Amino acid sequence: MQKEEIMKDIMRVKCLLSSDVETLINQQIKKEAHSSAIYLSMASWCNRNGYDFSADYFFKQAEEERQHQLKFFKYVLDMGGTAISPDITNVKQEYNSFREVFEEALEQEISVTQSIKNIAARCHKEQDYVTLEFLNWFFREQREEEYKARRALELFEVIGEEGTGRWQIDKHVGQISYDSEA
Amino acid sequence: MQKLQEPLFPVATFEEVFATTSGTIFQSDSENCWYIDFAGKLARFDYRNLLKLKKAVYQVDIEGKLLNSVQSADVEIIFICACDHSYVLSLLELIKLKELLQGTFVMLELNHIIHDCLYRLAS
Repeated sequence: MQKEEIMKDIMRVKCLLSSDVETLINQQIKKEAHSSAIYLSMASWCNRNGYDFSADYFFKQAEEERQHQLKFFKYVLDMGGTAISPDITNVKQEYNSFREVFEEALEQEISVTQSIKNIAARCHKEQDYVTLEFLNWFFREQREEEYKARRALELFEVIGEEGTGRWQIDKHVGQISYDSEA
Repeated sequence: MQKLQEPLFPVATFEEVFATTSGTIFQSDSENCWYIDFAGKLARFDYRNLLKLKKAVYQVDIEGKLLNSVQSADVEIIFICACDHSYVLSLLELIKLKELLQGTFVMLELNHIIHDCLYRLAS
């Protein structure tokens, strides 16, 4: 069969991503932006309530989520797609307790991991190995994020909130790090 | 004798992508664009504008408008930023345009699969 007989595949020439994958990544961009905004509000709450080390920890987390957002954003553009700058609403500003802040932080990370897994599942289905390879970086990152959030909650168990417990917890939150070679 | 000149406008060749009773969308390989024959005019759309048109049309809440009992003019304005064309349609025409676009994107997807199978995987 002669190649001239078939019309050009302009869509594919212009963009590597399928419209489904592009939509999913744009949703992820919004999710990362929302995460970043939530961490910022957590930093504000911790600072207002005297937990300065935790406030710094959440400022750093907010910055990291912003970087993740930009990484997705640039990927969509680099592949020829349309990256959408998201609207961010519904950012919770008040928390009932110091512990609740960390419980929600872990919940947030679990939900991010889950939605990246969802993109990967779609990529598998479409055999989009290019995006899958790109996502690998995020899976590594989520390992670290979930570890840190889980470790922070663990501090509430091992130190305990009684007496100067919260002061101790706050001090140790600043020292959490993940350096597994695995 | 005077030399034959190049035609003033390049002669474009079209390929029909999808057609309904109310309109047709053609693709021009040489110009990398699409021509939409709908609502009495032939309009040229490049890649970005075609996607913007799709988004604009798909965004209209047709069901909501059909069920809405508030009396208002039966006019939908499909306006696309940085594009020479816009559409002023009745709701019925909008449904027809949506049908035309849906069919077109299915055919473009099919064309992509054929390309993959025939050239990108086989060779």
